[in-house]
Amino acid sequence: MIDQSMIDKITELKAKYPKKESALMPALMLAQKANSNNLSEEDMEKVAALVGVTSGKAFGVATYYSMYNAVKNVGKYHLQVDTNIPATLMGALKIVDYLEKKLGIKEGETTKDGLFTLSTVECLGSCGTCPVVQVNDVYYENMTTEKLDSLISSLQEGVMPVKEVNYNFGTECNVLLKNRGLENSTSIDTYIQTGGYKALEKAMAMEPQAITNEVRNSAIRGRGGAGFPAGVKWGFLPKNTGKPIYLICNADEGEPGTFKDRQIMEYDPHLLVEGMIISAKAIDSNLGFIYIRGEFEWIADILEKAIEEAKVNNKMSDIDIIVHRGAGAYVCGEETALIESIEGKRGQPRMKPPFPAVEGLYGCPTIVNNVETLASVPFIIDKGAEAFKAFGYENNTGFKLFGISGAVNKPGVYEYPMGISFNKLIEAAGGVKGNLKAAIVGGLSVPILKPEELNNLNMDYDSCIKHGTGLGSGGIMVISDEFSIPELALRTIQFYAHESCGKCAPCKEGSHTIVMILKKLLAGHGTIKDIAKLEEIVNTINNVGSTLCPTGQAFAMPIKAMIEKFRDEFTRLIK
Amino acid sequence: MQITINGKSLEAKKGQNVLQVAIANGIYIPHLCYHEKVGAAGKCRACVVEIEGMRGLQTSCSVPVREDMVVETKADTVLQAQRLVVDLMLSSGKHDCLSCEQSGHCELQDAAYYLGIERPTCQYGDINREVDETSEFIKIDRNKCISCGRCVAACNNTVVNQVLDFGYRGHDTEIVFNTDKKMAESTCVQCGECSQICPVGAIIDKHAIGLGRLWELDKVETVCPYCGVGCKLNLHIDRKSNKIVKVSGVEGSPTNDGMLCVKGRYGFDFVGHEDRLTTPLIKEDGQFREASWEEAIELVASKFTSIRDEYGADTIMALASAKVTNEENYTFQKLIRTGIGTNNIDHCARL
Repeated sequence: MIDQSMIDKITELKAKYPKKESALMPALMLAQKANSNNLSEEDMEKVAALVGVTSGKAFGVATYYSMYNAVKNVGKYHLQVDTNIPATLMGALKIVDYLEKKLGIKEGETTKDGLFTLSTVECLGSCGTCPVVQVNDVYYENMTTEKLDSLISSLQEGVMPVKEVNYNFGTECNVLLKNRGLENSTSIDTYIQTGGYKALEKAMAMEPQAITNEVRNSAIRGRGGAGFPAGVKWGFLPKNTGKPIYLICNADEGEPGTFKDRQIMEYDPHLLVEGMIISAKAIDSNLGFIYIRGEFEWIADILEKAIEEAKVNNKMSDIDIIVHRGAGAYVCGEETALIESIEGKRGQPRMKPPFPAVEGLYGCPTIVNNVETLASVPFIIDKGAEAFKAFGYENNTGFKLFGISGAVNKPGVYEYPMGISFNKLIEAAGGVKGNLKAAIVGGLSVPILKPEELNNLNMDYDSCIKHGTGLGSGGIMVISDEFSIPELALRTIQFYAHESCGKCAPCKEGSHTIVMILKKLLAGHGTIKDIAKLEEIVNTINNVGSTLCPTGQAFAMPIKAMIEKFRDEFTRLIK
Repeated sequence: MQITINGKSLEAKKGQNVLQVAIANGIYIPHLCYHEKVGAAGKCRACVVEIEGMRGLQTSCSVPVREDMVVETKADTVLQAQRLVVDLMLSSGKHDCLSCEQSGHCELQDAAYYLGIERPTCQYGDINREVDETSEFIKIDRNKCISCGRCVAACNNTVVNQVLDFGYRGHDTEIVFNTDKKMAESTCVQCGECSQICPVGAIIDKHAIGLGRLWELDKVETVCPYCGVGCKLNLHIDRKSNKIVKVSGVEGSPTNDGMLCVKGRYGFDFVGHEDRLTTPLIKEDGQFREASWEEAIELVASKFTSIRDEYGADTIMALASAKVTNEENYTFQKLIRTGIGTNNIDHCARL
């Protein structure tokens, strides 16, 4: 119910942002939480009126993002099982089966007593700790059937159990994961004790241009996936426009296989905050945003606490940072979609140009950088570009977080210099579980590689390109011979079809059509013509510009590679 | 400036986009979301072309022309991309040209014709979307919708009624009225701008269904008879039955630029209505009888004159109508003030 205290909260939210429409998403979420996790039509209309947008806009937003329960009703405990690729590789489907049997309902249904709703969801950014079940807003990771039993009985008694945290990690560089194993690693005291905020002190005495030069000299390439040099990006900002400049941290970590940014935010939030304060100074920005995927609610809280601590400790005299939660939309990782989302709209990509550096958030110059990129800035400023370049090699400089999931013994996040060999990384992750069949090394959007292609692969931008794939976000998914590639292809395209924003025709209908073709093939009803149609679609969408944003290529490339490299598995499906 | 499209050097003006130059020079590039009135959206991807020096395919609707730009609209990759877009749209909807009201002026049909697509080849599932016939004048068939967004842009930015929007996501994306209400239950005022701008048969003028293909109808440009704004409209007339089948706004007209209100667009049934008066009537002994204009005007004039002479001019008052023009209203008040001699003149256009 929307009572006076919620009206006050929504009024506060409207005042927090430069434009009131940005309050729409958090306001809808407040209304949903106050109504047992369901968003009613009446509340949608009220929120729209309070925020000052049309009811159509509110409905459009509420049905775009998967975390709003606007047209579905969920029970008291919404059990959401991640069944994306890493999760499937790590046994999530067995978890779904078990829950279906245990609760006596099918996926998508609610128990008669209204206590449980069971859903399968796409990547929760928890690939190293799959299977994962998200209950309302809480992640329960590394699930087994035994753990499910105790989770369900606890929930039946009305108690949300305390979640266990048990992640694998390792670091050879000691930068981004330096504080990872420490107690109270999120507190500013710990951060300062281990040398934190020294870089900021140094940056405060530097001219903005000198900071930009240092970052440019480090040659750090964007860690979100595209690999564009961050310093060069900053240089695209137009001078003296009279408009404010915004810095946005892209923390919408949603590329399947990727769960690196959360390690920084969850365990060393001040590293990101410090990186943002320094970067904001470099680009002359007084307002920053951290756009964090909606599912990471508790991490958003950690970040807000860190920002508060930084303010109390006088680290943020010239800048404020707003943590803005998404609400379940992969495409918001694309920077213009992310900007639309902060503006309170459906997170769909814009046409480019204009690029965000010229016309971004609220029509103002905007820089969007990934968490890991911004978290590397304190090191670059403190130790210098040369020290950064001591890691890796030319054009592929610095340290990098690699997330390893799937068929390995110790899935987790590992920090190594750029150019580390694939084999050494796998060794760090405890080696392959079973027989290696293939690996996808840069998040789900890059072409799959066979064992012989992985042999001399080094994990950096150039080597990956040379091997016919991409470094992307550095999310490695290892596939053992237990898994069929056509099934993997179906799971892959189901993800993209689910996440396609629906704005441009070829992505919207192309992804859906591929799902239908693969289902037909896997059901044994396919023909050779269907495979040809499949290839025709992916070959066409693989051309840059055939879709509005890179999501088209993000599914065309991997599906194309799966068919071409494992063709016999596809043709074998034809009876 | 000069640009080259398909090897032909063409005159272009700064500020134009590639598609506008092509259209102006009779070069067809399929385009389903772009419309002059709502601008470029980059959504349908049917207007992609190759432009020398630019990476990948470019949407011609969004790329501004540059001096000496070289554009290719018939390269293999271009046609391949366009074909896939149009094929996917045809495959994902019920585009039954045989009975579709839009056949003949459907832009998807034009695109398929240009690309030589005989039948959709990507049909892999059932299509069963909602048809909404709840409203008085407009039929919404979401099975024919290609999500081009013209109607949403027109409703929000052109006529600013702010009823239509996009709801849901991906393949499930649909146009919605308010919070996905039925059209009749929404705040829609039935202005019909969405129907006029829809490139396919998804938003249709209900009362015109089955009454004739557009190409069979005569188009008569005229001015709306309702109010003094003077919106330009086209009457689409079936000469055989001598009936108005539908009305559309005239795009580019300085008064209304294609927009109309519910009355102007849909309120034309009075024209041929049997209750309509075709001659003046004079009431005698409680009964109306037909009369000539001369007789009727003579009667009114003589009655007014005798009332004025007997009781004074201020016993008469006049009320003018917003359905006529300013000029006619001016003449009317002149008649009352100078002819009858009273200032008792008012107008219905007041709140």
